[in-house]
Amino acid sequence: MENMVNYNPSFAEEVFRDVDSGDEIKMCMNCGVCAGSCPLREHMDYPPRQIFSLIRAGKREEVLSSKSIMLCTSCYACVVKCPRDIPVMDVMHGLGHYALKQGYVPRKDTANFGKEFWNQVYKLGRIDEKDLPRRVFFAGGFIAGIKAMLNFMDIGLKLMLHRRMKLLPERKIKGVKSLQKMLDKAEGLGKGGAAA
Amino acid sequence: MDKKTAIYICTGCGIGDALDIEQLKEEGTEDFSIDLTKDHPFLCAQEGVDLIKQDIEGEGVNTVIIAACSYRVNYDVFNFGQGVIVQRVNLREQVAWSQPPKEEDTQMLAEDNLRIGCSQAKNTELTEPFKAEEEYSKDILVVGGGLAGMTVALETAKAGYQAILVEKEDKLGGFLGKMKSTITMPYKELSDPGAEDLIKAIEEEPKVKVYTSSTVEKISGAPGLYTVDIKSNGNGASERVGAVVQATGWVPYDANKLGHLGYGKFKDVITNVEMEEMAAAGKITRPSDGSDVKNVLFIQCAGSRDPEHLPYCSSACCLVSMKQATYVKEQNAEAVNYVLYKDVRTVGQAEDFYRKAQEDGNIFIRGEAANVGEAGGKLFVEADDELLGERVKIEDLDLIVLAVGMVPASKPETAPKIKAPADAEDADEDGMMEVMPDSGFFANSALNLEYRQGPELPTLKYGFPDSHFICFPYETRRTGIYSAGCIRRPMETAKAIDDAVGAAMKAIQCTEATAEGKAVHPRAGDLSYPEIDMKRCTQCKRCTEECPFGMFNEDEEANPLPNPTRCRRCGICMGACPERIISFKNYSVGMIGNMIKSIHVPEEDEEKPRVVCLICENDALPALDMAGIKRMKWSPYVRFIPMRCLGSMNLVWIADSMSRGIDGILLLGCRHGDDYQCHFVKGSELAETRLSKVSETLDRLALESERVKFVEVGITDYDKIPVIINEFMETIEKVGPNPYKGW
Repeated sequence: MENMVNYNPSFAEEVFRDVDSGDEIKMCMNCGVCAGSCPLREHMDYPPRQIFSLIRAGKREEVLSSKSIMLCTSCYACVVKCPRDIPVMDVMHGLGHYALKQGYVPRKDTANFGKEFWNQVYKLGRIDEKDLPRRVFFAGGFIAGIKAMLNFMDIGLKLMLHRRMKLLPERKIKGVKSLQKMLDKAEGLGKGGAAA
Repeated sequence: MDKKTAIYICTGCGIGDALDIEQLKEEGTEDFSIDLTKDHPFLCAQEGVDLIKQDIEGEGVNTVIIAACSYRVNYDVFNFGQGVIVQRVNLREQVAWSQPPKEEDTQMLAEDNLRIGCSQAKNTELTEPFKAEEEYSKDILVVGGGLAGMTVALETAKAGYQAILVEKEDKLGGFLGKMKSTITMPYKELSDPGAEDLIKAIEEEPKVKVYTSSTVEKISGAPGLYTVDIKSNGNGASERVGAVVQATGWVPYDANKLGHLGYGKFKDVITNVEMEEMAAAGKITRPSDGSDVKNVLFIQCAGSRDPEHLPYCSSACCLVSMKQATYVKEQNAEAVNYVLYKDVRTVGQAEDFYRKAQEDGNIFIRGEAANVGEAGGKLFVEADDELLGERVKIEDLDLIVLAVGMVPASKPETAPKIKAPADAEDADEDGMMEVMPDSGFFANSALNLEYRQGPELPTLKYGFPDSHFICFPYETRRTGIYSAGCIRRPMETAKAIDDAVGAAMKAIQCTEATAEGKAVHPRAGDLSYPEIDMKRCTQCKRCTEECPFGMFNEDEEANPLPNPTRCRRCGICMGACPERIISFKNYSVGMIGNMIKSIHVPEEDEEKPRVVCLICENDALPALDMAGIKRMKWSPYVRFIPMRCLGSMNLVWIADSMSRGIDGILLLGCRHGDDYQCHFVKGSELAETRLSKVSETLDRLALESERVKFVEVGITDYDKIPVIINEFMETIEKVGPNPYKGW
């Protein structure tokens, strides 16, 4: 058969070794409780359980370009329910991070949002509620940016009404240099090192 | 014995509020000679019990009828010793709690219950324990010297009893002796099998007598009185024992039948037993060229859970493969183990070792092997990966281990059946075929019993001994013969040890109870036993055929030869006997007949039907009591008569009832079939079979066959019992009153 999958343990070994929390996958017994409890299951191409099966089978391409690994919203439903105590959420983030590092962009919007979010936190020590959406919305061009802004207008007005969004630019927090040092250090602690 | 009978009616627990006690005393006892009738508001209190004791001592009362709660409660309170017959009448669960108070029908029910009890007490004799002429032995014979057998022998000795251990090989140890390591409690790491230590402990134990290179040629007699002929190294020996434990263990499923998995075709496809032997001998290598092993694939359920091979799960092979994967990793840390499984079944705490195997990086693939082949000197497996939903290929394999299941090592009494392959010639109508003992399995006979019903233990469909799996796991269908270890069911070492200890204790219990003339189980402590009036025996063989426990042997003229110590006191022989010549001191055809006759049947124009319910006292009666405790209501026209086992139901009772004008008969017994719940294995099934012949009797009496109904109930079915009764009453109403009323 042509399209028969060849089991290849090298990708599993790579994940165990290089992906943050990747070695936790070893303990998966494929019960599927993670998939069953995931609120985003219907938007995923492969549920977490199947991602783990694909890793074992050695399907590198499918795993690292799967949008599932970037859909996780950190709701912890799977972590709470996993009978094998696997931090499924951490594994998914680890895989997303690793995919980006390996040059895969499974979900452009998410990747872009993550990058902007990180940059802003790194620079200011906080999020600027108007600057972050602006950067994300206009990443796809001017017209798309205007459209997205109009879509979110109601929320924006409400945020301003409740003084959650200031008109002036946010200032840096005190001691942002120290924060940056901490973040640099933390990045170095991960298995994969700093993402691009 | 001259009976002096006293009735004590308790008026507590709502009985006094529901009934007219004075009327009950008068009406309920008028047909019987009763010396004393008293009532008390709280009979199970010290004051009430003292009242009875005073009468026993002062008045010489020796038969006490207690009309109060169910006999299933307060049996310890109302125990007045061996010399006093105690008869319980249920006025609480079956009357006061389940019927409307102060109604005519309720009162009539209570009166009938009291009459039934009086009649039963009248027909009950004091039991005298059976005592054999020969001396009883309390030694235990253990057949099989593997882990289970050795543990049984040691435990027996530790408890102070002599054990005789018979092993067919020239040394003890069995499969345990062939293992490199075992996984046992607490299931974290591999551990030493410890076979040498066990063998040494046995050799040093003076209370264990070991016969190696020996087989059991014949076991004759009965519990407490067995004579065992042993052939040891060609010489004969004879031992007297009280009980037997069969621990003959298992053999691996014949891998030669697993050609589709490459066994026999490729040298590097081996079974888990061969793998274990190779590991125990030293290094794991490729059998084809002796080279090192890097990639190993374990095929789980090789032949197991496959209707054409072994239809069941052996529950130990998953753990064995994980153990052997650990061997491979210990030998070469770079090695890759794949485990191709249907379901990982590491039962109970063994799950911990599954976790360890996963942590070690073994790769578990859920799916079934479709093709095993060779390419470039290495093996490959194609499998349907259930989780990926695709056909996958695992290449570059050095070794494939088939995790074959366990087959009972001894010859079963009936050949197990499996699904016949499409091209099989000897398939029966259901597409099944027998696995013949000559196919290399079950080849050895283990016990060679001198029983009329056959030389080995009766088996279930896969060749394992029949036992009541939940309630009495070690007991087989031969009283005094227990099974332990993998002959009972496939299991791993920790369970085999548990099993062995349990079986040893049961065997000791049996020798002690037998010596006192008591039944072992489930009627533990029962002193009655069946007695046969041989003068009227017609040699019909029904008792010798139907006893589920093989109590009777037969002589050349087909006369039944009873062995009372084999008996479990169920009364199935009593129900089987067409001449009605088998009876117990406190349970007989005549007694139940009289109990039915004591029921007052109202005239037809009173429009009060009467139904007799013969109810199994093991499961159905507790369920009925439970329904009473839950204050459920049912028809007041039903009279319950408890049976030791529904199998003791004699058809004459049905004819008797019908001819007396009873409108219907309801039989409540245990579930039967493959997952039977009958405490006596065959009782309820036999009752239903006999009942199928009752239509002849009904035809003869020109009655409708709907008047007799058999219903299976479980002990948890209390909520269904009122429904069953009321539905039956509707049927009875439909068919109308029994025309024999008033005759």
